[in-house]
Amino acid sequence: MNDSYKPKILAFLCNWCSYAGADLAGVSRIQYPPFIRVVRVMCSGRVDPLFIVNALKEGFDGVLVSGCHIGDCHYLEGNKYTVKRMEILAQLLDLSGIGRKRVHLRWASAAEAKPFADNVIEVSNIIKEAGPFNAKDHEMALNALTRALSTTRLRWLVGIDRHLTENENVYHEKTDPILFEKVKNDAITAEYQKALIQEALSKGPVTVREMADQTGIAIYTVSKRLNELELGGMADLKSCEGNTPRFASPV
Amino acid sequence: MSTKGTNNKVGSVMVVGAGVAGIQASLDMANAGYYVHLVDSSSSVGGLMAQLDKTFPTNDCAMCVISPFLVEVGRHLNINIIPNSELESLEGEAGAFTAKLKNNPRYIDSVKCTACGQCRQVCPVTAVNEFDCRLDLRKATFIKFPQAVPLSYTIDKNVCIGCGMCEKACLAGAISYSDQARFSEIKVGAVVLAMGNELFDPSLFDTYAYSRHPNVVTSLEFERILSASGPYKGHLMRPYDREVPQKIAWLQCIGSRDINHADHSYCSSVCCMYSIKQSMIAKEHAETPLDAAIFYMDMRTHGKEFERYRERAEKGSGVRFIRSRVHTVEPLDDGGLKLKYIPESGEVLEEVFDMVVLAAGFATSKDTKALAQRLGINLNAHSYAQTSDLTPVSTSREGVFVCGTFQSPKDIPQSVMEASAAAAGATQNLSEQRWSLTLTKELPAEKNFSEEEPKIGVFVCNCGINIGGVADVPAVREYAKTLPNVIHAEDNLFTCSQDTQENIKKIILEKGINRVVVASCSPRTHEPLFQETIREIGLNPYLFEMANIRDQNTWVHMKTPQRATDKAKDLVRMAVAKAALLESLPQVTLDVTQAVLVVGGGVAGLEAALGVARQGFVAFLVERSNELGGMALGLNATWQGEPVLPYVMQLIEDAKKNERIKIFLETEVGHVTGTIGNFTTTLKSANNPLDTKVINHGAAILATGGKEYKPHEYFYGKNPKILTHFDLDAAVRNNDKALKDSKIAVFIQCVGSRTEERAYCSRVCCIHSIKSALILKKLNPEMQIFIIYRDIRTYGLREDLYKEARQQGIRFIRYNKDNPPVIDSDNGQELKLTVKDHILQRPIEMNPDLVVLAAAILPNENKTLFEHFKVPANSDGFLVEAHAKLRPVDFASEGLFLAGIAHYPKSIDESIAQAKAAVSRAMRIVSKNTIAVDSVIASVNPDRCAACLTCVRTCPYNVPRVGEEGYAIIEPSDCHGCGCCVSECPGKAITLKHFTDDQINAKTDALFYIEASC
Repeated sequence: MNDSYKPKILAFLCNWCSYAGADLAGVSRIQYPPFIRVVRVMCSGRVDPLFIVNALKEGFDGVLVSGCHIGDCHYLEGNKYTVKRMEILAQLLDLSGIGRKRVHLRWASAAEAKPFADNVIEVSNIIKEAGPFNAKDHEMALNALTRALSTTRLRWLVGIDRHLTENENVYHEKTDPILFEKVKNDAITAEYQKALIQEALSKGPVTVREMADQTGIAIYTVSKRLNELELGGMADLKSCEGNTPRFASPV
Repeated sequence: MSTKGTNNKVGSVMVVGAGVAGIQASLDMANAGYYVHLVDSSSSVGGLMAQLDKTFPTNDCAMCVISPFLVEVGRHLNINIIPNSELESLEGEAGAFTAKLKNNPRYIDSVKCTACGQCRQVCPVTAVNEFDCRLDLRKATFIKFPQAVPLSYTIDKNVCIGCGMCEKACLAGAISYSDQARFSEIKVGAVVLAMGNELFDPSLFDTYAYSRHPNVVTSLEFERILSASGPYKGHLMRPYDREVPQKIAWLQCIGSRDINHADHSYCSSVCCMYSIKQSMIAKEHAETPLDAAIFYMDMRTHGKEFERYRERAEKGSGVRFIRSRVHTVEPLDDGGLKLKYIPESGEVLEEVFDMVVLAAGFATSKDTKALAQRLGINLNAHSYAQTSDLTPVSTSREGVFVCGTFQSPKDIPQSVMEASAAAAGATQNLSEQRWSLTLTKELPAEKNFSEEEPKIGVFVCNCGINIGGVADVPAVREYAKTLPNVIHAEDNLFTCSQDTQENIKKIILEKGINRVVVASCSPRTHEPLFQETIREIGLNPYLFEMANIRDQNTWVHMKTPQRATDKAKDLVRMAVAKAALLESLPQVTLDVTQAVLVVGGGVAGLEAALGVARQGFVAFLVERSNELGGMALGLNATWQGEPVLPYVMQLIEDAKKNERIKIFLETEVGHVTGTIGNFTTTLKSANNPLDTKVINHGAAILATGGKEYKPHEYFYGKNPKILTHFDLDAAVRNNDKALKDSKIAVFIQCVGSRTEERAYCSRVCCIHSIKSALILKKLNPEMQIFIIYRDIRTYGLREDLYKEARQQGIRFIRYNKDNPPVIDSDNGQELKLTVKDHILQRPIEMNPDLVVLAAAILPNENKTLFEHFKVPANSDGFLVEAHAKLRPVDFASEGLFLAGIAHYPKSIDESIAQAKAAVSRAMRIVSKNTIAVDSVIASVNPDRCAACLTCVRTCPYNVPRVGEEGYAIIEPSDCHGCGCCVSECPGKAITLKHFTDDQINAKTDALFYIEASC
């Protein structure tokens, strides 16, 4: 990799640990590459995955989220939600072809100046290795990520597993973690694929094969997701040319 | 044994399985005086039929046909629907069983649930939608289908993660996570098993690529694809890529007649017909010509009007019928499917199709087998309930009856007939307990408002947020207050909820409201509920009108709330306008003559008469010949080999001994007058027309039978070696030595059936021939036996006979309609038969010692009789039932029923079932002292009637008549209330109550009426 390449990395640091750790690194004059731009949040749990997608859209090459160690969270358990959210985001990034290498979650306490700097160095190297991120090349995927991460279904499932699998669900039982995982994974895949297909649909009447071409999703999977969208009133049969029906978003 | 518990008999019955058969049995029994517990393992009633798109041979919409039945069963005071439940055990004995049930939790209270669907919207969990055959997804909170009964959601606990989202969304407070499985005990006098069947799963077959390729679908999946409520909203598309298929292949006998993979040697009896139906409907759906090909072994169109249906498919719609069993389906890259097959010509052919439909057969489910074992019900070798041909709806356990596809594979009308038969069987020994457990509603006297000005109350429903979330309900409510005659308007969160109902009653009384308008969902589902509510406080139920502002407004205009609000106001204004003109319609009841006339003294007639008598009512059994027994006297055995003659003799003896049966031999029906509940019939002696007798009866069953065709083909009657089935049966009975000495015997099928002259299949002949061939083989194992046939139609479990015949070395040679076998008998007594062999593709010759002609079954000629009853016969002379699918035993004219071969050729077990069914149907009428007549009926103003006969011609039910009075008379008890005659009447002499010209016009006028009073 070209040494002259200077990645742009957005860092979300929690106020109580990582931001303080970053300050301490400064006080201690610990040096790290000048690629990160910091946004201070009160808790890493405040970082909505949509912020991260937005950062990638706006031209950042990567994102670092850093908070208190598990167990040290100033807000008791806020960072546990961060973990869940980042997991889902990582899965979605893999699905989208952008890859989880663009987004990283690290921990650094208020006392950990060196570890903070090491994290920045490590993440900077990974992003540098990955090279510049061209949002234009991933426009459809990024729009689909925004769409998928905005759905009530995904947002509702983020983090609720802790409540359901560790405490108790509405039946006063613990939900089987395997079942929850399956439901969550189904939802991630389904919502992302539906979002991609909606992107294709929003550009006017398209055939199933065209959608498959545009989205990279297998033809039969497009056919099935399309069905879910139709049932939810998010896709309509528009016309039929020869034997090939065309679908579009409802007006 | 049965005497012991006589006094402890219970006047209620349990029906297990709420498909079309279970529903029919329940309705029959509940309407004849028994309380019915209808148990189903699923969350709603409807069964397999609810999943079908269309039904053969009329191509009616299945849902349109079945949904009135669903509504009726759902609202019936004497039917207790117990969904989500399993019958765990059945203790005790016939007359007094104790049924133990496990009621699985629904997690949504079906009383509170309004089926608004909010829970589904928010549920994050998806699961395969079994109702759409896994072609699409549903949520963990779901309702099987929009017309489901009970109309209530349920939670699929197997996939639910317990997140609690639905509870937050449910404004009706119906979610109840604390539901637990409960166990209950119910005392019943009898049990009817109607669990139905499931479809064979073709993923067992690797060669058909079913589990590998989405464009290979089962027949039920294809039904869902065709259905307007299915995954593709009725647009014919293939699943893989949604391309519109141009070529579809149907492969028959998937999981039927197959012992290699499926281990199901039987024929599923319905697949040939549903494939023909699907091919025709698919062609109708397609905008460009669709190539439909059906690959089959034998085309089994053995039911009423089925053969013509097939002809229509081939000649009219151009469906290709290819006699071949396809051995491989190979998926291609573009979604196409390459079929390899060997047609009759013998070469190996390949053809590419866009889609393949596997005509999957029936299979008894594991659950059903387990239930049968728990109940101690014997199953036969095919895992269907074991029954005798002579008691076709009785299981091996006394007091437990069976109907539908759990008894054997069969179509809907046959299931419905058996359901009624099982109802008759189940109640036969409980008749002393009739009406003992049924409920009646005590209602206050109706108030008379005829002198009062209309005072209208309007109740606008928010339906949670289903209406209120779109339209401005308070604005609609305030608007309603400004309308003429409206004295009260309010809005409710859920107008249908229990507490709102109570509130409505209170307000009606307080404010003196005399007309009620509810603006909410659909009258189709909710009108009866509101009508009941207002009746409970003395308002006539017809002083009610509904405005459909949900299903036909807010649900379809969600994105234009202002317009939805405006439309809601219009709809309310129209409803109010009609309400002002509403009139009370009195509930008319007529006394019933509790006796039944049975015409025809064959097996069907005897069974019917005995059935009526055993139910405790008088039966008049009229036979025009001088003996009872009919056609069955000439038959030796049923298809399962049960001797017929002793059974018929017993029937005759029982009938003669029964004091409730009045037998009239050598008697014909002269003149019939009257209507449902009260017929008067003149009987006259067949020998002396002046010798007459008049009888009164509440219902009549026509069982006028049929006869064997006397062939004019093949030198019949000219050569003693040529017999018909009945001749052969007689020869067997008489131990005719010539039979045993025969070296070569030949059966020729379809003699007089499936011809230009007689287009129908006689249904019983294939079975009769094979059964007889097996008897000959037993008499003389050396005998060479040939059956020369067009299609072997050993439908259902009768396929066993065909299998056995082949194993016994009986040879089958197929011929085409255009190329029948030829008999040359010029050579004295020597017969020479020539037939083209379908495998060798060349003529073969033989010199049979015995030729049996499988002669057609004809209906008895009864033109005058049918005219007396004003019942229709089809072009073949068979009587025409009210509805080919769901009313196979009723005539369109109320109070008249049919049974046996007069309806269509059928085997003895089927005739017995239909006769018992006719009894069950008649019990709905004669078991009551009085019968309620529908209030929405046409009535004639004699002063305006010119007796022009327009109404007589128009009425679909032939109800109006112009009598000596000189004007048209429409019997209230016969009128179905369609209103066609009203619109045709040139003199405007006819009024349809509740839908008068004024009432309908008021609605239209109101749409354009701008009120000045506000």
